[in-house]
Amino acid sequence: MLSQLLPLLWTAALAAAFPGVPDLWGAPQSVPGPAATPQSVPDLPVRELTLQNGLRVLVLPRPGAPIASFVIHFPLGSVNEAPGSTGISHLLEHLLFKGTTTVGTRFYEGERPLLREMDALHDSILRAGEAPSPDTARIAGLRARIRELEDKAAAYVARNELEEIYSRSGARGLNAVTTVESTAYFVEIPSNRAELWFVLEADRFRNPVFREFYTERDVVAEERRLRMEDNPGSLLYEAHLAAAFQIHPYGAPVIGHMEDIERLSRPEVETHFRRFYGPNNGVVAIVGDVDPHQILRWAEEYLGSIPPGEEPPPVRTREPEQRGERRVEVEHDAEPILRVGWRVPSSRHEDAPALRVLAYLLTGGRSSRIHRRLVQEDRIASTVTSAVEPGQLHPGLFVVEAYPLAPASTRDLEAAIYEELERLKESPPEDSELQRIRNQLEASEVRRLRSNFGLAFQMAESESLYGDWRATFDWPRRLQEVTPEDVQRVVKLYFHRRNRTVATLVKPGEGLTP
Amino acid sequence: MGSCSVALAQESPAVGREAALALRFRDLEFVPPEVQKHTLQSGVTVFHVVDPSLPLVAIHARFRGGYALLPRESYAAAMALPGLLRSGGTAGLSPDSVDHLLDFYAIQLTLGAAGESTFSSLNTLTKHLEEAVELWAEILARPRFDSLEVEIWRGRQMEDVRRRKDDPTRLAFSEFNRIMFGDHPTGWEMAMEDLSPQRLSSPALAEVHGRILCPDNLILGVVGDVPWERMDPLLERLAEQLPTCSGPLPEPLAPRMREEGGVYLIPRKLTQSTVVLAQPGGISQTPDPDYFASRIGNAILGAGGFSSRLLSRVRTEKGYAYSASSVWTTPAGYEGIVGAVTQTRAGTTIAAVQLILDIMEELRNAPPARAEVDQAVAQIVNGFVFNFQDLTQIVAQQMFYLAQGLPEDWLSIYLRGIQQVEPAAVLRVFRQYVDPRNMVILILGDPEAFDLPPEVLGEVRIWQVEGAG
Repeated sequence: MLSQLLPLLWTAALAAAFPGVPDLWGAPQSVPGPAATPQSVPDLPVRELTLQNGLRVLVLPRPGAPIASFVIHFPLGSVNEAPGSTGISHLLEHLLFKGTTTVGTRFYEGERPLLREMDALHDSILRAGEAPSPDTARIAGLRARIRELEDKAAAYVARNELEEIYSRSGARGLNAVTTVESTAYFVEIPSNRAELWFVLEADRFRNPVFREFYTERDVVAEERRLRMEDNPGSLLYEAHLAAAFQIHPYGAPVIGHMEDIERLSRPEVETHFRRFYGPNNGVVAIVGDVDPHQILRWAEEYLGSIPPGEEPPPVRTREPEQRGERRVEVEHDAEPILRVGWRVPSSRHEDAPALRVLAYLLTGGRSSRIHRRLVQEDRIASTVTSAVEPGQLHPGLFVVEAYPLAPASTRDLEAAIYEELERLKESPPEDSELQRIRNQLEASEVRRLRSNFGLAFQMAESESLYGDWRATFDWPRRLQEVTPEDVQRVVKLYFHRRNRTVATLVKPGEGLTP
Repeated sequence: MGSCSVALAQESPAVGREAALALRFRDLEFVPPEVQKHTLQSGVTVFHVVDPSLPLVAIHARFRGGYALLPRESYAAAMALPGLLRSGGTAGLSPDSVDHLLDFYAIQLTLGAAGESTFSSLNTLTKHLEEAVELWAEILARPRFDSLEVEIWRGRQMEDVRRRKDDPTRLAFSEFNRIMFGDHPTGWEMAMEDLSPQRLSSPALAEVHGRILCPDNLILGVVGDVPWERMDPLLERLAEQLPTCSGPLPEPLAPRMREEGGVYLIPRKLTQSTVVLAQPGGISQTPDPDYFASRIGNAILGAGGFSSRLLSRVRTEKGYAYSASSVWTTPAGYEGIVGAVTQTRAGTTIAAVQLILDIMEELRNAPPARAEVDQAVAQIVNGFVFNFQDLTQIVAQQMFYLAQGLPEDWLSIYLRGIQQVEPAAVLRVFRQYVDPRNMVILILGDPEAFDLPPEVLGEVRIWQVEGAG
């Protein structure tokens, strides 16, 4: 018969968690310290180089499989977009895969006049659309003419050639991402072909051609439909941010409003690129089995002569103080969803670490407070999550999102969530709760070192957004220093009714407001 | 620590297409790490690779057995098993105690199930290896199936059943499987009747547990900062604690798929239609010419990224979709399916479907260009090193080969086979196994907004979603 005795190995850990429970296995043990002994991450042998054009290059050699991860990062995203041009950063991201004056074309000189002709026609469409009673037949005719020209230009296009060259060389994961305040382009390549990246990327950022523009704009429109318009969670997300941020660009969708997407022009995108996506605004991070000396030589040789662009103007808009609860409903034929958001400061604020720890405390795992209350004890939610959204650099929103478990309503979930927050206002969390979080953080710091691509991305992002790649490793230390009193203080300061925006997804006809 | 310097600009270098094609690269010199294979006293096979780079150990367990090898009455219990092993406590530990121990030692524990297998992975700091493995053994060998946690799981699953129709893509895939596979486990979706208390009773859960989580079904893999001498006794003890298998599991049942094509419509007021189309694929995972030709053919058709025909024509050329891809599955032991998936605005739904079918027809009528075959082969050959990017990946491959009855050197066999594929072979497999006129086509979308009536594709059957409101 198998032994049912509890191994002594766990005794101290359980005694620490349940001090009221008699220790059946011997004398009480002292509480062990943090579970992890991570390696000293600031000792990573990162080589840094700033080119004369301002491009910053980070190289971290790591022996192992002969693969290198490449990330180019720009601190530019939807917050840098003007009203009426939402989605331009994301559309640009797509278009930077269309090739250059040599890649992706059989005869650029033949293409170029056709591209200009299409631009002129599109300009006519925009002007025609501004008339009080637009001539829809004329606009349709202009659009048809653009299609004809795109078909004609297709004869000169070597479609998807950039991706073909990369994949033929065994590259994986060629892709990009745009967020509210960043754009990143990345790929992984066998190390012996690292020079290929420099040859292609130097060309891409010096000589891009935004061909197949109008078709790609249609693709982005399809992407919006796929991700946002038939997806209940995304519909609610978009409506929630729009209600919470009435003038700050955090309230606009990264992919853009459909009406704006359909009006973006190629010259507009080109201008946006030339002005702001210069090397002086970019960071390159390369991690993997590479020779850093060779990598830096290639960086100088290939990337150093790309002309710099402008610095993007700072985002000056400040969302005014919120003076009362806001509520928004979205009707959609789907089960209900709740999002509650409170206005909170940016990640650069001294309260940011406590807010991050609060998210762990509330919804970080089975032992977390709101998960425990809503999912396990009251059984009124199937899932609940929390995070600060949508970005890092500007005051954002601490959001708790929950899916009601029928027959519970979103109101039931709201009540329970507010009760848990009131509890924290009355009493700070136990130190054992924070110790659990600290243990998790310590171990995460070790685990994150497993991925070269992850490291490249995090370092590039840190350097790009905060001016120091080390910031990504400094952040966990700041989280470790958060005390229970810090958590209580931020709950008291930010989590009150007049500072919150509530969004609910309801079925048609079932809304709470008449 | 890092070092920093500022470099002076150079003259413009040679960049772009010609410069890229002119590059010459040294050969990639790489010796994949050797995986040690051990056998425990209980007969359990363990694959082991030492990785001293970080103070972490990852242990992976793969159990043969899942809902696909059990009757329908056991479906919910088999699906619940991983979650309830995690949340339901053990004979010696309450659910809260398990949560606390995992949190306190910062152990990452995952559990999951596919149709024919159940799996679990443990990731721990090396200094807590003994505690972690002992806890893992307790969780795997002596589950409590706490009644409250069972009710919580049941309630969440019922909510998931209600919400299944909310995600168009998810709904389309699950309904397509039902159309294609019928009563075979591949076509199963959780229904309210599966979640009856009787089907999730303690005896029902214990029965499923006893049939799956036992040494005869187990394969282990270990990657991390631990020598075999330290790992061996821990795994011996783990295997000893698992109960003897309560009964043999059957071999997987080959599905009887829908042979006759047709058009199925789920009308929904959506701005974008989801299209899934497929038919029996005729090929399984065996090292024969048809199998290798199908891998290259599938890459050319729609699985090879932007250079593949579907993405190139449906997305890049026409702008119909953000995504258009092909599938040609090749299970071990029986045939899979061949087909395609896309999401396109309502007003281009029929045009997108017709284009996909036309592209398939083209590959039946003429061999692909040599350049297309070379591109697909080069992608695999030059990217071969990515099969060894992560030591866990390497160990997982060996575990998979053993579980599927594939030879240990399957990757090398695959690499050789791929490189022998000629355009004529791709033509042959498309002619033999792909018939665009006989596809099962499911469209989830708003027929009132389609560009053409769906009847242009063939007789349309309105498909009723089970449990839909």
